[in-house]
Amino acid sequence: MAAIQKFQFQNSPGGVAKLREKLSQTLFPDELEDATWDYGVPLQDVKRVAAYWRDDFDWKKFEDRINKLPNYKASVTVDGFDPLEIHFVHKRSSKNNAIPLLFLHGWPGSFLEVEKLLPLLINEKQSGGASFHIVAPSLPNHGFSSGVKSRGFGLSQYSEAMHKLMLSLGYDQFACAGGDWGMCIGRVMSQRFPTSLKVCYYSLVPSTPPSPATPWTFVPFLIKHLLKMYTAAESEGLARSQEFQKTGMGYYQLQTTRPQTIGYLLADSPVGLLAWIYEKLRDWTDNYPWTDEEICTWVSMYWFSTAGPAASVRLYYESLRGEFPTKSGGYVPHVKLGLAYFPKEIFRLPKAWGSSLGEVVFEHEHERGGHFASWEVPEGVAGDLQVMFGKGGGAYGAVKVDKN
Amino acid sequence: MAPKITPFKISVHDSALKTLQTKLSVSTFPDEVEFSDNWSYGTILTDVKRLAAYWQEGFDWRAQEERLNEKLPQFMTIVEVDGFGELEMHFVHKRGKEGSIPLLFCHGWPGSFLEVLKILPLLTDKNGTGPSFHVIAPSLPNFGFSEGPKKAGFGIPQYAEAIHKVMMNLGYEKYVTQGGDWGFAITRLVALKYPTHCLATHLNSVDIPPEVLPSLTANTSSLSPLEKEGLDRTKWFLDKGYGYNDLQGTCPSTLGFGLRDPLFLLSWIYEKLHDWTDSYPWTDDEVLAWISIYQFSRAGPEASVRIYYERNHVHLEETMRVHEYNADVKLGYSLFPKDLCVPPDNFAKRLGEVVFGRRHESGGHFAAYERPETLIEDLREMFGRKGGAQDIGKNISC
Repeated sequence: MAAIQKFQFQNSPGGVAKLREKLSQTLFPDELEDATWDYGVPLQDVKRVAAYWRDDFDWKKFEDRINKLPNYKASVTVDGFDPLEIHFVHKRSSKNNAIPLLFLHGWPGSFLEVEKLLPLLINEKQSGGASFHIVAPSLPNHGFSSGVKSRGFGLSQYSEAMHKLMLSLGYDQFACAGGDWGMCIGRVMSQRFPTSLKVCYYSLVPSTPPSPATPWTFVPFLIKHLLKMYTAAESEGLARSQEFQKTGMGYYQLQTTRPQTIGYLLADSPVGLLAWIYEKLRDWTDNYPWTDEEICTWVSMYWFSTAGPAASVRLYYESLRGEFPTKSGGYVPHVKLGLAYFPKEIFRLPKAWGSSLGEVVFEHEHERGGHFASWEVPEGVAGDLQVMFGKGGGAYGAVKVDKN
Repeated sequence: MAPKITPFKISVHDSALKTLQTKLSVSTFPDEVEFSDNWSYGTILTDVKRLAAYWQEGFDWRAQEERLNEKLPQFMTIVEVDGFGELEMHFVHKRGKEGSIPLLFCHGWPGSFLEVLKILPLLTDKNGTGPSFHVIAPSLPNFGFSEGPKKAGFGIPQYAEAIHKVMMNLGYEKYVTQGGDWGFAITRLVALKYPTHCLATHLNSVDIPPEVLPSLTANTSSLSPLEKEGLDRTKWFLDKGYGYNDLQGTCPSTLGFGLRDPLFLLSWIYEKLHDWTDSYPWTDDEVLAWISIYQFSRAGPEASVRIYYERNHVHLEETMRVHEYNADVKLGYSLFPKDLCVPPDNFAKRLGEVVFGRRHESGGHFAAYERPETLIEDLREMFGRKGGAQDIGKNISC
């Protein structure tokens, strides 16, 4: 059994001082007279947030906010790798038969994305609604978990680490919720550990159109596609997905091929890191009114991560290699799926395609929200989970919980 | 009134050197892991640490500056680009003997005017046999010591217009071009836009549009081993080496914040100097001289990557014509195995009347710098007495 210890985060005064020094020495680029967000993050926005980060960001508040959550660390050993210290938030419901829910973040997110969900999910007042024990880790190479020193730590390894963490907490069966890498890790975990991971909720849905091999789904798809019979939301989503493929994947192409090169930007230039992440916070959300404080909180989570920001993009490289490379589609049996569609997600595909992923027991098309759904529309996500796992919901009873 | 041509010597401000030193002195490196020195992940840590330390202290930029000023006669001239107003263009200009062929050399990214350093003496040799050239090597707008445009929409046709007008300012009514990387698209557009001026084009890179590649790789049975190797290299480039291109082509401003960080600029460019050459034994001085041109560039390093964005957004139809047949210009090419796009021998015939073509057994993307004698030999043959472009050589020499 992995030794589990409480964890308290502390700002590093030396680290903050060095950050401020680097921010003070920033050389800013010039900008074209008529540059828009089309070219990337505008100069005035980066200057404003950088100045705030240097002069006004409340480091004590940052520390307190993290420490308000119940933080722990556990040692986890993945086959073929040195032991890792995994940081995680663990909040148990007072109800013994609550469902263990593993909440997985992605990039450029963090465990902190669970912050707004917790009060909504650990809901003792409501009867009939589902209750959860929430586990929200920092993925290896992210947040306050260790960095991985050897190569080859891909999706298989991430899923193994997360699975072992849940087992070490006594959760033999559990559910998983995530988008971005959280979704990818969930998919691999459900393939590798079907006796443990029984239900997955995805806020990013990597479905593919039905193939000609299944004519009963393919023909309707073809008809719908050729006659453009998608709903307005689906058509818009398809167009958005195609646009993302064309113009939004530069970071992905780079991080999957040259993580070390981009690592120098992320590690040495706080303004570079800020611009790199801020671009996604804006492009991938549904007009979410990010405050400078929020932006700096998210970016600081990378700047002050245990492994350093350069480590966080290695998953992109490693995920394309190994036994479980990232790819869309692929039916995974034995695990029930809840699919949530958000209009400003980076790709948002027609609902009918969801069956390509597995047994869909819940789906919900949201009116608002994007890539960071738990942060942008936490009530929407919490509501989905409550319905899905509650009495009458498609995943009700799917996770066997001993009264413990 | 003849356009003004003013002599120019590179003289970077002391403050820029001091700033560079200060920034490098607070370098924060990525965490060290077992694969930090594995090139398949990107620029290796050992090299970056060594280069950064040397750049901060030891590397003598003033000596480099002096050397460049001594070996490369440089000038400035103002050109007007339609819709963008006046731009001051920096260029190298060295004349060969009387009766030489004016040669416009067009660099790419992350290259610069400095790439002519090794070919300049022999190409302009007044005493040699064989054709001699007057060499003009500008810094493209947004690069080196040329001005950059202030407005959006400066696309490949505009780059072509700018360097053509440098030739016009110099009085070279007829000329030939040599280029690779962006030099491919830009010189091809020069030939398209100014067919009475640009009479021949020599390319050391022949771009393959990604959508064309599948048809080339579909049937390779009749190709030589070298040609097959070239296609494999092209596949590698488009599949594994294209991230920088995608990024610069979609969010140049975001990347620009990083390019102002010297440590990142160093790793960003050095990766290409390593990956795109044929084991060229770069010295630290050479690497840092190349990168310093970007660090100290007039428009700033962030400006240099906008060409990728504009290529994707403006004048698309006109720019696509660089891949189509142009009957008006004689074409020559030299292919090097470690370049990025290396098509089969007959591919260039799609582009125009090929009067010279050679596939070499070694060399990479920066032909003028890696294989200067080879490139010179190819140019002398193409424009020489028995060469395919000898008529042009005879007609436009001045």
